[in-house]
Amino acid sequence: MRLLEPAIKTVWTIKFAIVSACIFTVVLGYEIYAYIGGSSDLPMPTGTLAALTFLGGLLVTLTVPRLRYRYWRFDLRPEELYIERGIFNRVRTVVPLRRIQHLDVSQNILEREFELSKLIVHTAGSRSSDVVLPGLRMEEAERLRDDVKRYILDDAV
Amino acid sequence: MTTDSADMRGAQMLHPMTLIQRFLVSLPAFVLLLLPVIRSGGSAEFVPILAVVLYGVLALPLIFLRYFRFRYQITEREVLIHSGVLTRQHRSIPLERIQNIEIEQSLLPRLFGTAKVKIETAGSAQTEGVLEYVSLATARNIREIVRTYQRQQSERIEPGPAVGNLSGSEIPVAFAAAPAADPREVLLDLPLYRVLLVGMLRFSLLYIALVFSALQQLNPDPDEIELWLTRGFLQPIAEFAIASPWLLTAMAIGMAILLSWVAGILVSFNKYFNFTLWLEGNKLHKRSGFLTLSEGTIPLKRVQALLFRANALMRHFRWYALQLQTMGLESAQKGEQLAAPLARLTEAQAIGQRIYPFEMPAAFHPVSRLTIRRAIIRFTVLLGLGMAALAYWAGVAVAWLLLLLPLIVVYAYMRYRNMGYAYDDTTLFVRKGVFIYTVWVIPIARFQVLYTSSSFFQRRLGLQTVYADTAGAGSVASAEIFDLPADEAGRLVDALYARFKAPFAPAATDQAGEGDSLPRS
Repeated sequence: MRLLEPAIKTVWTIKFAIVSACIFTVVLGYEIYAYIGGSSDLPMPTGTLAALTFLGGLLVTLTVPRLRYRYWRFDLRPEELYIERGIFNRVRTVVPLRRIQHLDVSQNILEREFELSKLIVHTAGSRSSDVVLPGLRMEEAERLRDDVKRYILDDAV
Repeated sequence: MTTDSADMRGAQMLHPMTLIQRFLVSLPAFVLLLLPVIRSGGSAEFVPILAVVLYGVLALPLIFLRYFRFRYQITEREVLIHSGVLTRQHRSIPLERIQNIEIEQSLLPRLFGTAKVKIETAGSAQTEGVLEYVSLATARNIREIVRTYQRQQSERIEPGPAVGNLSGSEIPVAFAAAPAADPREVLLDLPLYRVLLVGMLRFSLLYIALVFSALQQLNPDPDEIELWLTRGFLQPIAEFAIASPWLLTAMAIGMAILLSWVAGILVSFNKYFNFTLWLEGNKLHKRSGFLTLSEGTIPLKRVQALLFRANALMRHFRWYALQLQTMGLESAQKGEQLAAPLARLTEAQAIGQRIYPFEMPAAFHPVSRLTIRRAIIRFTVLLGLGMAALAYWAGVAVAWLLLLLPLIVVYAYMRYRNMGYAYDDTTLFVRKGVFIYTVWVIPIARFQVLYTSSSFFQRRLGLQTVYADTAGAGSVASAEIFDLPADEAGRLVDALYARFKAPFAPAATDQAGEGDSLPRS
């Protein structure tokens, strides 16, 4: 069983930080607006919700990436791709290689900064978009893709 | 067929009746535009005139332009469609990619002798090309050309049924290799009483909603209704009802339910009248409809799973519907297509076995009893949250909602009792559902991805959920097996995966002659 690149923790942390900051900004804006307007329909003192949002965001940003990394592992076996992941809802996925329709290697701007990329495995199944391997080094992702691709060509009809 | 197909080679225009049809269809929208003016009593007279002018300047020329700029052509290997008034669109659909050609005739086209042709392909979820409208003969002709082409193709590649790109060849197909003549084998011919039964049993809340929204749209004057009601022999009832508001409400709701029940019967009568399902070559065909006649084809190789489905009412009277889970066809139906609207279980199974041979298991394995407890807790929490929200925001008395608690317990027990799974060497069977009971028959060879999941609460109880994903499976109601004991779930997945891999094992591949270069463990 293999783990992801540790650098993915940083990528996820930044991502969560950005999302948390956005939510916090919205809540803060609402609180300020309600305070100035003098009409808050929340059953708590001004600032409580913003503080809670901030703390919640901080907590999620600090813990979730680490936990997610800890529980995420995968293995490319001769006939299948095996993935285990999930903090709260733990999911084990078996993707038979002969069922893979096509493969994508993608990299967003954050991942590019850390020289990471992700492998997206498409099957014809209705939940096929679920199968994503994040946090791979670019050359590693490409190697995986080429390994798997050989299989698809073999089985192509 | 060659002479007929030669007629189709040049660029064709749609049937001229299309113009009249589109004009008539556009009228209701026009009237709707004018409706506020008509109702207000013509206080501002320039508005309707303006509307008429706008309509004449914009809508009518658009209808004509759309008609005259539309061309379609069927060549040796593709269907070409040129359309568009402002932006020209040229679409080419290769004949071999066409999965299904549906011919639809609603009321007006039936009067005009025209039909709508829908061309569906595997690649995209929605209809790829629509020809509305061509003459019925042309529609049949187009379908025949495509079928002939595909038959020739599949014969050229290999004898027997064509191989799907999703391991179609792995599934033994029940019928003998299709002879050239393709005899028709009728699988189901729905008699009239059953057509009516479908509507009676398939009670849908949708129609209640429609009835209520229609009432809201019409916005009847209460006084007028009262006047109308209090005439004649209904008077004593009306007076009695007005005296007690509770009774009035109950009567109104009862009336709405009755109306929607009748509406449901009419709708399904229109939909399933003369329903016929037949097998021709390696394709299933179905045709039905009273006002709107629709025909459809389901290639057998596209069928991913069979579903026997019954709502509580249907199940009580031991009626079932057979649905086929397919890929690439009609996204509106979530990939599940109706093959038999109403049939006895044995009958539905017999039809299903012509599509995919299977042996219904004698018994299903139950899931863990803990699932009852989990369901009770989950729904009680949901109820509590709902009550809290209602009390806080709406300020209504909510204590009476606690009466739902016994219902939750009953539901949780029924849910457990109906849930189960079974498998043999080739097929996985999953059943579940209280209000809508479904038995999935999933060929193991059609598996796409296997999932095992356990939530935080499930882990504390040592439970897991197992799901075998197939192409075209519904995202809302899927064949997940909830709350299996962890070791049983592990064994199930291992057993299923071993059966999935079995046909590809070296001994089997030697025989089949499909080499595989990668080493296997």
